Amino acid sequence: MASKESLDHGRSDSYRVATIGPIKDDNRTADGQYKTRRKPPAKKRKTGDLDDLKQELDIDFHKVTPEELYQRFQTHPENGLSHAKAKENLERDGPNALTPPKQTPEWVKFCKNLFGGFALLLWIGAILCFIAYGIQASTVEEPADDNLYLGIVLAAVVIVTGIFSYYQESKSSKIMESFKNMVPQFATVIREGEKLTLRAEDLVLGDIVEVKFGDRIPADIRIIEARGFKVDNSSLTGESEPQSRGAEFTNENPLETKNLAFFSTNAVEGTAKGIVICCGDNTVMGRIAGLASGLDTGETPIAKEIHHFIHLITGVAVFLGVTFFVIAFILGYHWLDAVIFLIGIIVANVPEGLLATVTVCLTLTAKRMASKNCLVKNLEAVETLGSTSTICSDKTGTLTQNRMTVAHMWFDNQIIEADTTEDQSGVQYDRTSPGFKALAKIATLCNRAEFKGGQDGVPILKKEVAGDASEAALLKCMELALGDVLSIRKRNKKVCEIPFNSTNKYQVSVHESDDPSDPRHLLVMKGAPERILERCSTIFIGGKEKVLDEEMKEAFNNAYLELGGLGERVLGFCDLQLPSDKYPIGYKFNTDDPNFPLDNLRFVGLMSMIDPPRAAVPDAVAKCRSAGIKVIMVTGDHPITAKAIAKSVGIISEGNETVEDIAARLNIPVSEVNPREAKAAVVHGTELRELNSDQLDEILKYHTEIVFARTSPQQKLIIVEGCQRLGAIVAVTGDGVNDSPALKKADIGVAMGIAGSDVSKQAADMILLDDNFASIVTGVEEGRLIFDNLKKSIAYTLTSNIPEISPFLAFILCDIPLPLGTVTILCIDLGTDMVPAISLAYEEAESDIMKRQPRNPFTDKLVNERLISMAYGQIGMIQAAAGFFVYFVIMAENGFLPLKLFGIRKQWDSKAINDLTDSYGQEWTYRDRKALEFTCHTAFFVSIVVVQWADLIICKTRRNSIIHQGMRNWALNFGLIFETALAAFLSYTPGMDKGLRMYPLKFVWWLPAIPFMLSIFIYDEIRRFYLRRNPGGWLEQETYY
Amino acid sequence: MTVKKRPSDLTSLERFNLYYREKEEPMTTGQKFKRYLWNPKTREFCGRTASSWSKITLFYFIFYLALALLVAICMWTFLQQLDAREPMWQLEKSIIGTNPGLGFRPMPPEVASSVIWYKGNDPKSQQFWVKETSKFLTAYKRDGKKAGAGQNIHNCDFKLPPPAGKVCDVDISAWGPCVENNHFGFHKSTPCIFLKLNKIFGWKPHFYNSSDHLPNDMPDDLKEHIRNMTAYDKNYLNMVWVSCRGENPADRENIGPILYMPYRGFPGYYFPYTNQEGYLSPLVAVNLQRPKTGMLINVECRAWAHNIKYDRHEGMGSVHIEIMIE
Repeated sequence: MASKESLDHGRSDSYRVATIGPIKDDNRTADGQYKTRRKPPAKKRKTGDLDDLKQELDIDFHKVTPEELYQRFQTHPENGLSHAKAKENLERDGPNALTPPKQTPEWVKFCKNLFGGFALLLWIGAILCFIAYGIQASTVEEPADDNLYLGIVLAAVVIVTGIFSYYQESKSSKIMESFKNMVPQFATVIREGEKLTLRAEDLVLGDIVEVKFGDRIPADIRIIEARGFKVDNSSLTGESEPQSRGAEFTNENPLETKNLAFFSTNAVEGTAKGIVICCGDNTVMGRIAGLASGLDTGETPIAKEIHHFIHLITGVAVFLGVTFFVIAFILGYHWLDAVIFLIGIIVANVPEGLLATVTVCLTLTAKRMASKNCLVKNLEAVETLGSTSTICSDKTGTLTQNRMTVAHMWFDNQIIEADTTEDQSGVQYDRTSPGFKALAKIATLCNRAEFKGGQDGVPILKKEVAGDASEAALLKCMELALGDVLSIRKRNKKVCEIPFNSTNKYQVSVHESDDPSDPRHLLVMKGAPERILERCSTIFIGGKEKVLDEEMKEAFNNAYLELGGLGERVLGFCDLQLPSDKYPIGYKFNTDDPNFPLDNLRFVGLMSMIDPPRAAVPDAVAKCRSAGIKVIMVTGDHPITAKAIAKSVGIISEGNETVEDIAARLNIPVSEVNPREAKAAVVHGTELRELNSDQLDEILKYHTEIVFARTSPQQKLIIVEGCQRLGAIVAVTGDGVNDSPALKKADIGVAMGIAGSDVSKQAADMILLDDNFASIVTGVEEGRLIFDNLKKSIAYTLTSNIPEISPFLAFILCDIPLPLGTVTILCIDLGTDMVPAISLAYEEAESDIMKRQPRNPFTDKLVNERLISMAYGQIGMIQAAAGFFVYFVIMAENGFLPLKLFGIRKQWDSKAINDLTDSYGQEWTYRDRKALEFTCHTAFFVSIVVVQWADLIICKTRRNSIIHQGMRNWALNFGLIFETALAAFLSYTPGMDKGLRMYPLKFVWWLPAIPFMLSIFIYDEIRRFYLRRNPGGWLEQETYY
Repeated sequence: MTVKKRPSDLTSLERFNLYYREKEEPMTTGQKFKRYLWNPKTREFCGRTASSWSKITLFYFIFYLALALLVAICMWTFLQQLDAREPMWQLEKSIIGTNPGLGFRPMPPEVASSVIWYKGNDPKSQQFWVKETSKFLTAYKRDGKKAGAGQNIHNCDFKLPPPAGKVCDVDISAWGPCVENNHFGFHKSTPCIFLKLNKIFGWKPHFYNSSDHLPNDMPDDLKEHIRNMTAYDKNYLNMVWVSCRGENPADRENIGPILYMPYRGFPGYYFPYTNQEGYLSPLVAVNLQRPKTGMLINVECRAWAHNIKYDRHEGMGSVHIEIMIE
């Protein structure tokens, strides 16, 4: 949104201002505040940390005279601090390093794993077991060890799963530690007149340091001497331009003033000497990092879902447990029996293995994502991208290549598009026309940038260049177009040169000709287009020199405006063949008082540069769009550049207009346009600062395509909070320190692995190792898939809860011998169900998950009532029926007909009764009865395994038929075989009757569950058939989970 | 039910806004719960309207009906394959196995207890045990008038095994002190306890076929007894022998002499049990002739045959009785 732009240029001697064209400095600082206003009006909403961050603006080190500064720090510009003083300061302030964010102590993490989730419920179960055993031990002479064993097993289960998830957690946090091992930084310091090389950590306030290009600034320093010194502040402010720095105080704002350089930014050119004014956590970088680590991030969506689910299951378990505890009392059971029932119900109700399953599923996905260059720091963040409904992306380095590249050229009165793709796969232009040749010659010769040495194998575009970003862009473009630039420069020896300065706003050099037949010198000039045009009288078009008339000027202006409107930085180029009679070979050119013409030159053309978007970005943005994800650009850069990039990557899609565009099209003032008509919006940081939260909400709500430009770290944070307030799950991508508060606040922060700063990596949950925005799409896809698959996995696991609980209920209510024991329940939950449940994580997506909307975190729960209804009410019931049928079959085949069993429980479980009569008059000893009972447990267990085959297959799909889905998930097929083999192993291994009370089964006892298995399969196929036939119908509303 | 727009029908703006939360008026938990119970706006009870409730109820009714039908069909089909008189699996194929245990009567009223406890001088406390025993023995009493049950009963002897389809009689009328008229000895603090061998369909004992090869752990008095008996008649070898003794040395002191009626074992002609009509388990009445009073006596009775394995803990081939006479 265009705002009143001041003509006052802030930073004057960089190409940026000279050549920025219509993108004038808006007289605002990077965080959108007017430069002239020192103290911003306090924001009402945010207090605490944000205020603290703002205090950075209040330092006065840049304003006071150097002398006062030396006084203050008791230092000297030539001699530096004394060793004693330095030591004293070091002891007082501590090392010059960022305090790492507070870590939760390991034992707290461990305890969380040990007592979180279902663990508490299981602990209660275990404690009840021990109490029951203790009471039995004190009352009965030979107490049954069952309760003791069960208590130990339960405790072991909790401890093992706790250790397992703790291990998983610490493993993923270890990945991060590798990032922490940064290469130690060294700094050149003057102390007691001696130059020393110290580790950056040992710097103290008042130290005089020397910095040269290529160094990282070791602390916040006030410059006292500089020679062509430039710093890259991009990681701090998001500005991609190197900023020149010198000794003069130019701005009240410490971030803008030229005499400060900040910790952890890079020096790109020149050398400087400065005095350390802030160290460690007090540096600007340290404050932002501190702000980021102080933010409360809240739970990840999947953690919320899992908590919701745990509450649900715990609620059911406690409700059932207490109910049956009371019922048992009413029915006249001994209270110890009632306690044992309670234990049984708790054990049956809690899916012991489920949390471990979820952890494994997430780990598997995290691994898969890591192989696709998405490194996940926090395991739960694996799913978050899948739930994401809004992505706030930084521009520089994330969406763009962070590398100035020539995008367009204007010569022969036409705009030529240059190839800006990373792999040079774009359109090629005609390189033979005389216009291009002339332009290329100027761009090659009037250029001080050079490739750094030792980069022979590196592709041209990736080579590092010493010099200004624009010159580097020209150099690379020419290297691509002409070949060896260096030899061209050698053949055209430079005779003299006037470097760029802020008053001239041009750069000129004179070269000898490489044509032996033409002894004339060539004068080449480049600079701000309007300034260059002023100095020209002719123009070179179609190989002919023409007079620069009004018509040509008009053409020039149009081209200039068009390129400027694309957000590109435009440079003008002109040349002149100096007549050989006046300027013969060996002529002494004087640059201080130019003794050669600088007017009436020949205008050749324009070249414009931009930091082009990464090749994969537009496609990725489109994919996010079709996946229903809103992509918002949040950048510290200028609105016009931001908008141009937004358009080129599709964040503002074709045909969508902003309010300004509509106003311009209809030729009416901006204020008359209904903002609701515009789908796109470009919001300036200054405007954002004046919005209250409701207005921000409106912008976020009613515009689908938003670009925030000139935003400060705080504003990035506010935007993220705004989206979250509206209920969106927000992903933030960024690489700079200025992004880190937003990265931390976001539901998932995504940092760049190569270009990203350490602070941003620290704050992020996920790191894109290849810096490729397209990897986010992979993340979304994997996240959605794992959410779907977790649903399936949970549906599968929960189903077996019903056949686990119902035996207990029947045992209490019908007085039948217990059909399924607690040990066998644990065998299911922690044995046979585990591998199949995990294997569902490998399931392929049923439909194109990237074509549907992100899930609504308020209604699309991981575990909803429909899933419970399906798992508990329908499939679980069929499974329970199968289990009971097998139980009755075995009882009847051995002599106890079904009706005989009801009410027999007390005699059955009495050790004193050694002759219990069955339906055939046979009399059973206690031991034989128990063998029969445990055989029934085993058979019940086996029948659960059998019906879980069908359950596993129906859980593969939620809508499709298994015929569509196929059985290509080999992990799942393995799971089927595994659970069967494990069941057979548990049943048939000798000694299991003693250890786990599992008895060998006759083969025929595997069979009674089969009709039920088939009916589960058939029922669900029919259900899903109707689901597909009647989308949105009643059945879908009630059973589609 | 509100008609939900499918995502494809929405404009992109609506679609985005679908994922943003509608602003809700803040409610207390109590209000939320109340609204959940009965929401007058949507006429929902517990989150569902009346028609929604009836639909889901009908669905589950049909579903469970179908499930019940499935179970019924399976159960019926299965029960058709069962024989009314013969268990499907027998002996080693069945889990009951081939190792019978022993049972005793009278049983204490408390199911989990094996203590016969009464006061020697209080007829009231004896009454329960006498009644219980006599109830148990009703099946064995025959007054001649009752036909039917007694029809296929045959008086067997070692030389006279029961003919096919007949069962052997157990005559309880002449068991010395262990008759009902004597209150089974309870009133004299010399209680009779009736032992029986567990019935296992088709089980036949393997008798010790010689009095010279008796197991080492057999009590000497029983060995002695067997030798005496078999010296008199070899047929008596076809007997499942029974021995009772105190479990611990102290109990052995306290238990006093024991009288076994009518034999010291179960005669072989009662076996095998094949669920015959009117089959009577052979009994051994164990009369404790001089048990110490005021003392809990642990008694273990054990059955002896080649194919009866013994394990005190598992109750294999034996039974544990506790007697307490005050």
